[in-house]
Amino acid sequence: MKQETEWEPKLVGFLCKWCSYAGADLAGTSRKKYPANIRIIKVPCSGRVDPLFILKALRLGFDGVLVSGCHPGECHYQTGNYRARRRVAITKKFLESVGIEPQRIQASWVSASEGGKFTEVVAEVTKGLKEIGPNQLFPEERRGDGTKATAPG
Amino acid sequence: MEQRLQHQAKALLEQGKVDWIIGFEPGSLKFTTTPLITKDKNDADRLVINPFMVNNLANFLTEVKGRVGIVAKGCDSRSIVSLIQDNKVVIEDVVILGIPCPGIIDLGKVERLVGKDRDELDDITWEGDKVAIKVDGEKKEFPATEVLFDNCLACEFPTPQEYDILLGEPRPAAPNLAASRKNLEGLKELTPEQRWEFWENEFSRCIRCYACRSICPACFCQRCFVEETEPQWVLPMPRWQDNLIFQIVRNIHVAGRCTDCGECERACPVNIPLRSLTKEMYDIVDELFHYKAGMDKEAAPLLTAYEFEEAEDLFR
Repeated sequence: MKQETEWEPKLVGFLCKWCSYAGADLAGTSRKKYPANIRIIKVPCSGRVDPLFILKALRLGFDGVLVSGCHPGECHYQTGNYRARRRVAITKKFLESVGIEPQRIQASWVSASEGGKFTEVVAEVTKGLKEIGPNQLFPEERRGDGTKATAPG
Repeated sequence: MEQRLQHQAKALLEQGKVDWIIGFEPGSLKFTTTPLITKDKNDADRLVINPFMVNNLANFLTEVKGRVGIVAKGCDSRSIVSLIQDNKVVIEDVVILGIPCPGIIDLGKVERLVGKDRDELDDITWEGDKVAIKVDGEKKEFPATEVLFDNCLACEFPTPQEYDILLGEPRPAAPNLAASRKNLEGLKELTPEQRWEFWENEFSRCIRCYACRSICPACFCQRCFVEETEPQWVLPMPRWQDNLIFQIVRNIHVAGRCTDCGECERACPVNIPLRSLTKEMYDIVDELFHYKAGMDKEAAPLLTAYEFEEAEDLFR
């Protein structure tokens, strides 16, 4: 029998290999706890994150997306995070204007030494997602009573 | 102005300065124009300048080989500059015949205003800052705000930014933001959920004909992401979810290239108010990065350039 449990948001995190991913690693090796809601995808650079990744994640039913990279000026490839910043900024603002809650698209700078900051960011983002509730942006169909059915995934 | 254009176009072709002339000729229906792309100097007599030249001709620049003389309104010239910035067009190969544009007339608005079908009207002309409509032998003048397209009302640069030959006097910009933003303001007042529902309804009409993509000079990818299959970003079936994602990502791709020419909205066969999206992106780009598309041919395209400090409030 299916047990009634509290809803937990699903968050996908695109972490840059050089900083944020290493930061997450540090959080783990330092035995710091952060919410298990995040599913981490390693990318070579935050500049690798295409706005399509963000849309696809939301389309698949993830409740939020976190893009995280090196602090400005510390990119392994010199300028990748500057480009990511412009791209993520317009994506976030534009999706907001179309009607997607701004909490769903989050971005942060976490360096390889900031395991503590990483746990904080994930905790804050997860908390924000719990406040706004599940992602019902792309329901496959409308239920008979007019409410949206949650997307699978 | 029209005669000067014909004369100039003919001279350019005769002197061998250009291989092609791209301009407007009268369309097959009343009050329409159709693009004229020609190599023949005798065709230059067919060129027109009138209040119905809706198309953004910059779209054809990448499709012809050789040197091109092109007729450009304010917004079109910015699209051309934007293509130069993206290295899609070589500036030496383009001769821009600039037209200081008083605004393009929205026949739908005219029909509603006059209460008659377009076939029953005799003539529509620019008359200084007003628009004169001749109906049943009687000439009536209307303020431009009532008959121009919304994007023309918001026009900040009616005179081409970049031109080789300017036909006519430069026009001062007089953007009437209040009149042009009626639709947008309505959307701003809604809650995010209502806005999403609005777009859900609009995009459930979309038939994925890709007219918006074909008509857009900024949409120049060799292969569009919607046609990619590994990975498949969106399904090719016209379902509203995928339609909306297509349009959102299209807008992100043309950010910093879109000049608010309004062609996507006019091309849409199911009347989705696409300009409400493109204008939103236009404003976001301006607000965040103080960048306007197609203003400076030396500038790097928006998404390849950066400043050391910007948009930091969006990051944790």
